Amino acid sequence: MPEYIEFNGIGKAYPGVQALKDISFRAGAGKVLALLGENGAGKSTLLKILSGDIQPDEGTIIIDGEEQKFAAPYHAISRGISVIYQDRQLVPGLNVIENIYSGDLPSTRLGLLRKDEMRRTTREIIDAFGLPIDPEELVGGLSVAYQQMVEIMKAYRRDSQIIAFDEPTAPLTDAEISILFRLIRKLRDDGKIVIYVSHRLAEIFQITDEIVVLKDGRLVKTMATPETDEAELIKAMVGRDIGDTYSRLSRNDKLGDVLLEVNNLVTDAVHDVSFTLRKGEIAGFAGLVGAGRTEVVRALFGADHILSGEIKINGKIHKAGSEKASIEQGIALCPEDRKEQGLIMWRSITDNICLPVLDKLKKLLFLDRKKSETLAEKAVERYSIKTPTLDKIVSELSGGNQQKVILGRWTSDLIDTKILILDEPTKGIDVGTKAEVYQMVCDFAKQGIGVIFISSELTEVINVADTIIVMHNGHITGTVKREDATEENVLALAMLD
Amino acid sequence: MEKKSFLKRLTQSKMFVLLLLYIAVAAFYTIISKGQYLYWVNIRNILSSMVITAYLTCGAVFLMISGNIDLSTAQVSTISGILMAQFLMKGFPWPLAILAVLAGAALVGFINAVLINEVKFQPFVATMAVSYMVQGGMLLLSHGAAVEVSNKYIVWLGTYRIAGQFPVNILFTFAIFTIYGVVLAKTKFGKKIYMVGGNPVAAKLSGINPKKVWYILFINNAVLGSVAGMLQAARLRSGSATGIAGGAFAGMTGAILGGVSFGGGSGGMGGAFVGLVLLNGFNSGLTLIGINPYWQTMASGALLLIALTFDYFNTKRLMRR
Ligand SMILES: Nc1ncnc2c1ncn2[C@@H]1O[C@H](COP(=O)(O)OP(=O)(O)OP(=O)(O)O)[C@@H](O)[C@H]1O
Ligand SMILES: [Mg+2]
Repeated sequence: MPEYIEFNGIGKAYPGVQALKDISFRAGAGKVLALLGENGAGKSTLLKILSGDIQPDEGTIIIDGEEQKFAAPYHAISRGISVIYQDRQLVPGLNVIENIYSGDLPSTRLGLLRKDEMRRTTREIIDAFGLPIDPEELVGGLSVAYQQMVEIMKAYRRDSQIIAFDEPTAPLTDAEISILFRLIRKLRDDGKIVIYVSHRLAEIFQITDEIVVLKDGRLVKTMATPETDEAELIKAMVGRDIGDTYSRLSRNDKLGDVLLEVNNLVTDAVHDVSFTLRKGEIAGFAGLVGAGRTEVVRALFGADHILSGEIKINGKIHKAGSEKASIEQGIALCPEDRKEQGLIMWRSITDNICLPVLDKLKKLLFLDRKKSETLAEKAVERYSIKTPTLDKIVSELSGGNQQKVILGRWTSDLIDTKILILDEPTKGIDVGTKAEVYQMVCDFAKQGIGVIFISSELTEVINVADTIIVMHNGHITGTVKREDATEENVLALAMLD
Repeated sequence: MEKKSFLKRLTQSKMFVLLLLYIAVAAFYTIISKGQYLYWVNIRNILSSMVITAYLTCGAVFLMISGNIDLSTAQVSTISGILMAQFLMKGFPWPLAILAVLAGAALVGFINAVLINEVKFQPFVATMAVSYMVQGGMLLLSHGAAVEVSNKYIVWLGTYRIAGQFPVNILFTFAIFTIYGVVLAKTKFGKKIYMVGGNPVAAKLSGINPKKVWYILFINNAVLGSVAGMLQAARLRSGSATGIAGGAFAGMTGAILGGVSFGGGSGGMGGAFVGLVLLNGFNSGLTLIGINPYWQTMASGALLLIALTFDYFNTKRLMRR
């Protein structure tokens, strides 16, 4: 079992960006080390180097004094390293068992799979984690949270000694996070080396022992967790104080008329949902993953089939037939899954931002390139998207910056929005930008836009939204005003049966 | 925000790699053939040999960027040539004959799109099945025999040379490449094609209707294939069952050279055009220096691999910087 892993002068450049430069630090056994930094700071790049997915331009990785060369992920895996990435690395068409064993499927001498053994072990792992997952289920059919769990189980099954997590909690709810933490603590107590990347500072204090802060690809600070506090961390990360995010928000204090009225909405995943949204109101949707929040807004947007119920916009019945019709009605949906539903991964930032407003970018027959670029540039500035050019294809951006591109798309000046639906908008976004996103949401409210704000981060919903609508199992279990909301009472509603 | 200059854009494009490759090829042939490679007769040959594939390529580029594929185009082309010849034989006025054939082709494109959009077949499977059906229809109609085309307007379209030198159909080729190139790169519809190919789900959530794009593109592809087939019949003055050179993959070859990938979402018309020039310029050189034409087919395959390899290294070079 290795005692430590050391990064020694690691550097990596991409066209136009020095993603990492001169990174040296050491992570020891039986400890959890946090990697912290703004979007695009280089955290994921470092983990990709650790996993052998990419090779550094300079520097080495040392395990117990022995220099390592990872030319391919296979090498890293064989040295006991597992990296659980920001984006899932599973095969959707295979079941849980096969995914947990992918890479080294056990077989008999004749080359047949040892199915019984695989099933038994998978069952044991699932039980150890206490998860309601059927081993035979196709991974593509699992929710994002459970897919995440499958990845962790995969590393667990491999018995890796060095395990790195890249924003593991982004798609998870509090209940699931506590399961994850229980597991991470177990890994730590077993003497493994754990590296943990997250933008949620609270988590860093809960679970980690040491912190390494990166900024613009350089190491700015290494510290022991118990000896620091949030303010100091933020300052190291962002380079300035940002103060208390929530109390500093400049909110909208006058609500307008009823803008949206949903009555007894029923779809395959939603039962009898009714709520109203006023002009200038921010309605937060809280609940566990799978509570049906995304399904409500998808139906509202015309992306899912509605079985019964009615939707009124400004008092007039709205037939949510298609996405296009909804957009014309002034509804904008910023979807939760940036990779599947949000981005065109191989197109530029500009193209991605202009997608829903192509109509407005026409000059005679052609697209107005200048105007498109101006639009994209604004988004890049507003959300401080870290990129050398507007032409950069989105798949080359860091995870958080990709998320910002989607936000930029749905909040651009050309979108004439009446109802803005943000589904997990801050997923994977760094603290500094989060504050900007909250303020932007409030600014939209001030303009009279009704905002639906879905988030699994409890603190965030109850502090940003005016009204918190809590869902469980496809039902609304309660509605709470911000003044009355506490994490406890909202969570109680979210778990209500 | 830094913006890429035109020159930088150019040197990083797929087109640029192909262009360099072609310049090398042309220089090589020019030396071997003692300058004959650059004679007008040879250049005209190269351009003429692209005339038919140009239509197929335009259709294929659009379709493939949108994330689809059509294996039935070559058969649609062949049957179109024969049908037009037969309609003309039966005494249809020539514009009517052409329109009737185009309508038929559009119907095939529409059927392809229905199978893929509504019945949710894989494009590969659906269009292959349709391809067999069209081929069967073609054989039934023609019994394998060629039908003469003698209508003077049609023959004019296929064979007229401006000032006795410059074939009009080459002008059509340039026109079609320009039009399709501009539509793809500069218009809203062109953008939609990329978006739909890149991520149909995201495009749909942004208010674009992917199905509609695919309907248009399948019909467009079949109609272009049909035009190619009729033009071929007009050039040869007969509609025959032998079909067009390169068969089912003629159009796709140009598209792939242009950097279009099977996954959809990338590639462009400029690269496809230079790719076609490269392919045909290469083959014409082989003929010129007296190499057995059967080698050409094999050479085309090799060239495709070489071009793709070059492109791969160029991409890698860009990634490294
Ligand atoms: N394949 C790539 N090609 C070009 N640039 C890249 C590529 N991958 C990453 N980068 C760049 O390297 C920098 C560091 O990215 P990285 O993904 O490591 O950031 P991160 O710290 O993980 O950020 P986040 O918190 O947003 O996930 C970014 O500027 C990003 O644009
Ligand atoms: Mg990252």
